[in-house]
Amino acid sequence: MARAVSEPHELRHGRVRLALHPLRAGAGPALLWLHALHSSAAGLASPTIDWPGAVFAVDFCGHGRSGWIAGGAYTPELLAGDGDAALARVGPACLAGEGIGAYVALLLAGARPELVPAALLLPGAGLEGGGSLPDFSGRMDPEWARQASRPAAAGDAAGEADPLVCALESDARPIDYAEAFAVRARRLVLAEDGGLRPAWWEAVARSRSAERAAVGEAWRALKRAAGS
Amino acid sequence: MRQPSYPGAQAPERSRDLESLGVRLQLHEWGDPERPPIVLCHGMFDHGRGFDTLAPLLATRFRVISMDARGHGDSGWADAYAWFVDVADIANVLRSIGRPAHLVGHSKGGGQATDAAALYPDLVRQVVNIDGFGPSPEGFRPPGFELDSRSLPERFAAFLDRRRAGDERAWRPYSSLDDLVARRRRMNPRLSEEWLRYFLFHAAREVEGGWVWKVDPLAAGGFGPFKPEWIGLGWRRLKAPLLAVVGSEPDSWGPLPESLLQERLGHVPRLERVTVQGAGHFVHMERPAETAELVLGWLAR
Repeated sequence: MARAVSEPHELRHGRVRLALHPLRAGAGPALLWLHALHSSAAGLASPTIDWPGAVFAVDFCGHGRSGWIAGGAYTPELLAGDGDAALARVGPACLAGEGIGAYVALLLAGARPELVPAALLLPGAGLEGGGSLPDFSGRMDPEWARQASRPAAAGDAAGEADPLVCALESDARPIDYAEAFAVRARRLVLAEDGGLRPAWWEAVARSRSAERAAVGEAWRALKRAAGS
Repeated sequence: MRQPSYPGAQAPERSRDLESLGVRLQLHEWGDPERPPIVLCHGMFDHGRGFDTLAPLLATRFRVISMDARGHGDSGWADAYAWFVDVADIANVLRSIGRPAHLVGHSKGGGQATDAAALYPDLVRQVVNIDGFGPSPEGFRPPGFELDSRSLPERFAAFLDRRRAGDERAWRPYSSLDDLVARRRRMNPRLSEEWLRYFLFHAAREVEGGWVWKVDPLAAGGFGPFKPEWIGLGWRRLKAPLLAVVGSEPDSWGPLPESLLQERLGHVPRLERVTVQGAGHFVHMERPAETAELVLGWLAR
């Protein structure tokens, strides 16, 4: 469990309340964590990594201490709106994203280059989505199909994840789409540990703004990239 | 204000609602509930009462259920919208009927009805898709809108800016129903003033200071990867036969160039095609009797 330096700040994205956790104070450039699918700020692997500036983590909608959206239309772009709401509060910040958070970090780094000097992409749950193409086989993520056939998603944010976030296991992440965001991003560091990576990741890694780094080296690479 | 009338239009005989993925969907029904069911799916910015002229004609032989898509008509609003959720809504409406149904959809609703039939073959018998075969590769551009030349991440930044603007989801009120009719007529010049007055009365509500659309301004405002060449690929799996209907006349939307239509429909295993001469995109609104005859004839085979 990440130890917060204070109670979470409350943000709003549309009608949804989001929890922004200040994890560490500091005077240098800020860092914003984006967590993996089905996780939260509390589930980050190394939340208070040695970083020269303030460290924050936002809980995506449907996760952790943030609210659930009405209607179940969870997409990476919607989650990027959550990250953007955090950037609006924190100001310019480097991003560190795990799994789905890594893909969201790519989208934000491409859309908000003026606010994101560098982003670190780390493996984790939700990194792949449904692959490069929509699921034409009708196989559709069985968990999503099961949840979608329920009359309603009951409950709210009592720390439990919205079961409908499993839609983020089957969304399409085309290579050229990811590349377009990489082209506009300032610096991207992709953490490699020998594990298999999805096609979008490999395409992003080949872009001019990107460098690969071994997991042990990745933070140093991010600090260098942030300073450059 | 009193509800306008229109020749042949009949208000639904019954209405009910259904909870689907956390949103309340409004359903309108005509015809004997014991008869075989047809579910009607409307297009973007429209609503289920747009079938008030077609549904009574189909109800002579079927139980007809028209749904207001989420964010449209009298259905509830969601915090965000996505194509796959709309398709899941159609499946949930079908499940609520308890027996396989026919699907008839127009425009966006036609594409989603066809996708629902491909994804949930056990719930669907036959599908009629009225000009719901996706946009051309240049995208959808209503008259008077410029082509967007910004890069993908720049357009996404604009999307994020709109989300940052907060919960600004209120339409500017129009001073009268006539103003709404004039506005919509500019977008759909083929639809008569008299019909639009009937149709838009149910698409808007009277508030202090005028009339506002019922549709959620966010309903068309999602963002995500999409490629025109994806359209139709999933239709290879269709078990249900598909009747594809287009009008012959160029309109604010459609029909697609014939080569593109053939390409997308080329994926459909059991296809029949009809072009309604002299009709535009809103075939069922322009020609309800002809559309009913087509649908009834085809479903009878």
